[in-house]
Amino acid sequence: MMLWRRFASNRFALVCMIVIVLGLYVTGIFAPLLSPYVPTAQNLDAVAQGPSIAHWLGTDELGRDLLSRIIWGARTAAIVSIVAVSLSTIIGVVLGALSGYLGGWFDTLIMRVSDILFAFPSLLFVIFIAATVKPSAVRFVEQMEIAWGMRGLARSGIIDYFVVFTALSVIAWPGMARLIRGQVLSVKRMEYVAAAESIGASTYRIIFRHVLPNCLSPVLVAVSMGLGGAVMSESVLSYLGVGIQPPNASWGAMIWENSGEWRLHPHLIFIPGAVVAIVIFCFNFIGDGLNDALNPRNR
Amino acid sequence: MPIGDEILLDVKDLKMYFPIKSGMVFQRKVGDVKAVDGISFTVKKGETLGLVGESGCGKSTTGRAILQLYRPTAGQVLFEGENLGDLRGNKLRKVRRKMQMIFQDPYASLNPRQSLGSIIGEPLVIHGLAKGKDKQERVQELLRIVGLNPYFVNRYPHEFSGGQRQRIGIARALAVQPSFIICDEPISALDVSIRAQILNLLEDLQEQFDLTYLFIAHDLSVVRHISDRVAVMYLGRIAELADRKALYENPLHPYTKALLSAVPIPDPTVEAKRERIILTGDVPSPVKPPAGCNFHTRCPMAIPQCSQFVPPLVDKGGRHHVACIRV
Amino acid sequence: MAPLLSVRDLKTYFRTPDGVVHAVDGVSFDLAAGERLGIVGESGCGKSVTALSLMRLIPQPPGRIVGGEVTFDGMDLLALDEEEVRSVRGNKIAMIFQDPMTSLNPVLTIRRQLSEGLELHKGMSRSQARRHSIELLRMVGIPSPESRVDDYPHQFSGGMRQRVMIAMALSCDPQVLLADEPTTALDVTIQAQILDLVKRLCVERRTAVILITHDLGVLAGMTDRLAVMYAGRIVETAPTAELYENPKHPYTIALMKSVPRLDEERREKLFVIDGLPPDLIDPPKGCRFAPRCFAVIDKCWEEMPELMRVTEGHNAACWVDVSKGRS
Repeated sequence: MMLWRRFASNRFALVCMIVIVLGLYVTGIFAPLLSPYVPTAQNLDAVAQGPSIAHWLGTDELGRDLLSRIIWGARTAAIVSIVAVSLSTIIGVVLGALSGYLGGWFDTLIMRVSDILFAFPSLLFVIFIAATVKPSAVRFVEQMEIAWGMRGLARSGIIDYFVVFTALSVIAWPGMARLIRGQVLSVKRMEYVAAAESIGASTYRIIFRHVLPNCLSPVLVAVSMGLGGAVMSESVLSYLGVGIQPPNASWGAMIWENSGEWRLHPHLIFIPGAVVAIVIFCFNFIGDGLNDALNPRNR
Repeated sequence: MPIGDEILLDVKDLKMYFPIKSGMVFQRKVGDVKAVDGISFTVKKGETLGLVGESGCGKSTTGRAILQLYRPTAGQVLFEGENLGDLRGNKLRKVRRKMQMIFQDPYASLNPRQSLGSIIGEPLVIHGLAKGKDKQERVQELLRIVGLNPYFVNRYPHEFSGGQRQRIGIARALAVQPSFIICDEPISALDVSIRAQILNLLEDLQEQFDLTYLFIAHDLSVVRHISDRVAVMYLGRIAELADRKALYENPLHPYTKALLSAVPIPDPTVEAKRERIILTGDVPSPVKPPAGCNFHTRCPMAIPQCSQFVPPLVDKGGRHHVACIRV
Repeated sequence: MAPLLSVRDLKTYFRTPDGVVHAVDGVSFDLAAGERLGIVGESGCGKSVTALSLMRLIPQPPGRIVGGEVTFDGMDLLALDEEEVRSVRGNKIAMIFQDPMTSLNPVLTIRRQLSEGLELHKGMSRSQARRHSIELLRMVGIPSPESRVDDYPHQFSGGMRQRVMIAMALSCDPQVLLADEPTTALDVTIQAQILDLVKRLCVERRTAVILITHDLGVLAGMTDRLAVMYAGRIVETAPTAELYENPKHPYTIALMKSVPRLDEERREKLFVIDGLPPDLIDPPKGCRFAPRCFAVIDKCWEEMPELMRVTEGHNAACWVDVSKGRS
């Protein structure tokens, strides 16, 4: 609670947090209720319009309401950021903690794998996953549909989400693992860990009660920054056409869809671009705020 | 409690080497830090054995190796006749109920995220000694025993001063009702006016609970105050081991003599008359200790034979053991 | 004769989130040329802050020298501007710190760090400074200084680094040497070497020394006069021999009795000073030692005692004459 009070004393970070919680996550959860139109509904009588009473942010070139698509894009960004960061954090924390605490060959293995992932250009890696994993995933789901008599799953775009989750977690966990490993290495030398061992605590108890809880502060900062990074990466992937595919709404995909019209209707790409920028900006300031609140020197 | 003849702890030729590794991908062993290099001693039930030496002499490593916090490279640690090196898992955990440790740094030895109740209650939970209300009562009793207010159970370590934190650490060690406690520099991180409080507490507890102490410290005056017997360590080996009186009044090993003469005494008239043996140079590296007697490089009495073989720790009469061929 | 350094009513406060800490709160003392003065006290008593204030090295903010006068050689040090302070600091008043590991810059050779002061304050050329640096290293007893002068700090042991620090401090022939816990981080045998060196050099060069430490033993053989600090104030000052023989302030008496001595058989129990030093954000109104004092009277809670004459040169800030029982 001390942490929250210190964090809240930084007004700017607090505002950023409110913007993110309301603007991204609450909006994402209640997107079906909040959006004035169905985001995929085309209205060919009102194509590429500017802002009006009926369409607050105007419409795109297929006559879809831009505000509704932004709101549904928030849903995509919220899901992707939460799932991808949760996956990479869980993988990273577990592997990093074991690597740091156990050491030896396990440590060497994990660290070399993460070196390889670090050395790979991450965007290339994601495109590679999207290009190799996705077709086989689609084929698999199609066969499942045939076998179980279901329909439409393969074409609903749900596979796109899984591809994005996988890609983002695979590139993000090594950073988390390194962070945790470094923390564990310094915490495990603390005398209270030796004290726990001397009173007869098991390895499991030592790792989960004494080592990990004291390693988590920097993880909080990394998670905050990572959520912003995931939103950014999702937009980039979708913009490049390897992420979320139209007609599902994604801010990155919206920029790409409307880029043909940018001379005539700049707001169609400016608005989704600005939304992405604001979200990432806010996440970074939350991270900074947390960092200051957690830093013992500022206490 | 009178000191009996029953041997509680018997350390035989204990060695603790830490490998030095090198290499980026495949790590190779390139050498050893010989932190403890073959030491033997016994601790009798009810006594306090002081273990003194300068930093890096291996005294703290010895303490941790006895508790099996480090697995010794060689040698035996017999506690109540049982070789701790053979024990694993649950059996080792059971023995640890009987031997506890008090740590040097009261700031690093308490988990900052645990409340006092959780810190002191944890050993009770681990060994299944008390639960729920019993545990709460036992924790409060322990707080009272170490001189803290029992209402502190829900507070966190950062609310306490160094001396109070050290009391918390002592309460944790006492929770499992051990018979043997290793005190690893328990007062060196504390302020001068607080040290006496903790030293007196340790003495009171020894009397109250029939405790046996291995008291590790670098401060020779404190060791003289609290110990019955004293072992002086230098570079991983014991140089001299004797009853307190004999060691302080009639030191035999040249290193002990130099060490004692170097300790300043808070009395200008005594200081003015004292003759100081100033040792030259620094302690050699434990990676490559000198051959033979490891003190011969700095010893004012060294002769050529000193570098040829390791002097054994021999009894010079009256249980006064010295590892030096010149005495 | 006017003293070389005269401190009058020095006050240094620190602003913290919890309030203003009165770290040094009205400290006065004199230092004659060539005199060796010891300041003794526990951590947080303000002894280091006093030294840093004299050097004008208080980090600002959060610290600030809020009052007092420091006269050195006819100048008011507290009134000098930054440029003028720099010509005094390191040149006429030099300082050695506790931690020889962090007070040398790890990326510069010893020669570069020694020459800096010589070139700056003495206007020496590079080659002159190098020759002089080698001389200085020889003076502090570093073997083969011609080759060691081009080494980096990490190539030296702790004791050797402290020797380098002493060489650096004495390089410009200062009139005052401030030594803040110079041997606390070192082992006893190395401490003996360093104290021996400091004493010998300062006697030879007639350098006045202010030696700050918590160790009453170190001061006994090193100083002419002592000042005991408690909670930001000097509570007693006297010639060293007089202070040890005839301490008047209850804090001094208690401090001496609470430390075990190397040359004494175990007394039954050590004397204990109960409680903790006061919070310097809101110090007690009367005597700051009153809550822990064994001789406290009503007046102690009401009025803060100033230093009062006991005998010539011996002053104590206490309302009670402990030897007689009452004032």
